Amino acid sequence: MEVLHYFGAAIGLGLIVIGAGMGIGRFTAAAAESIARQPAAADKITAAVNLPLFLLEGVAILAEVFVLLIVLMK
Amino acid sequence: MIVETGEKYGGFDAGEVIIGHVSNTSVHHPIIELPTLFGINFSVTKHVLMLWIAASLLFVLVTWATRKYLKQDRPIPTGFMNALEAVVQFIRDSIVLPNVGRKFVNTWTPLILTFFFFILTANVLGLIPIFDLIGVLDRFVLHTDHDSFLNHMLHGGTTATANFNVTAALATITFLSIIAAGTKAHGFIKHWKNLVPSGLAWPVYILLIPIELMGMLVKPFALTMRLAANMTGGHIAILSILSFVFIFSELFDSAAAGVGVGLAVSVPLAVGISALEIIVVLVQAYVFTLLTAVFIGMSVNVHH
Repeated sequence: MEVLHYFGAAIGLGLIVIGAGMGIGRFTAAAAESIARQPAAADKITAAVNLPLFLLEGVAILAEVFVLLIVLMK
Repeated sequence: MIVETGEKYGGFDAGEVIIGHVSNTSVHHPIIELPTLFGINFSVTKHVLMLWIAASLLFVLVTWATRKYLKQDRPIPTGFMNALEAVVQFIRDSIVLPNVGRKFVNTWTPLILTFFFFILTANVLGLIPIFDLIGVLDRFVLHTDHDSFLNHMLHGGTTATANFNVTAALATITFLSIIAAGTKAHGFIKHWKNLVPSGLAWPVYILLIPIELMGMLVKPFALTMRLAANMTGGHIAILSILSFVFIFSELFDSAAAGVGVGLAVSVPLAVGISALEIIVVLVQAYVFTLLTAVFIGMSVNVHH
């Protein structure tokens, strides 16, 4: 029972990576596709994708901080 | 530092070493001891030291470049000023202008430029192992005693922006400037009214006002966490990969196993992550400034 929090933290970390990876993957795929369709609008598309991408990354990082807290403050 | 901890406790504790490297020095053993004024301890710990180094380096560099440029006869910048001017123009034209708008661009560009350059300098300084070099010099050449100033300094050399307090202070400035921007553009009362769209049925407001108030506080909190956690995360990754050397040499009870793992796995991976860190350092400075500009723009140009 003593190491159970490590178990939880590891699983949580895996879930975060899955979620963030899926999110970033979809974003990038959609951006690449739309740039391929309309290369003229590449700047606008990049600008529109940037902000939500950073917000997504922020959520993932927050989750990682909480996982670190689970490990440190057992 | 890794060697030192290993000797002291006998056996290698990766977690202890990594946390010791990433976290701030304890207030009870600061690098430079200063008296307590008004109930605040002014002692210089390693993050404070890096903070001051970053600030003074930035101040000297930028002032020197600008003074030199103003003194010369022709208006074309050369050398470092050229790079500086390109970055300044990029931030004004592609970060501040599209978000804040033409009317207030010159009001808020200085603040956002300061954010960008300060965060970038602090981040980059954390990547350069100056103090670890001093540590090597101290251990093998100078042999100073354990309590010397130099030996205290060895614990420096981390990213100042990896400390949550530093980023929280930066995000507080953002928080206040969001309110200041709204007040400057619309007046104090109108700014707070602008938080929620007007002309809705009253039950909606019961839901909307708490959400908007929470959003106001969550924005700087997310800024704080993002920057600090990104900076800490890279260091933790590099250090834990380098810890493999010591873990494996202890596991198999031979130095050869550790060196082998180091050459085959640790060093290439650490080099890769360090290269990634260079990108992360740039991107995080960019993200902080972009989000500050976006938030200020949100309170200046109210959509609803």
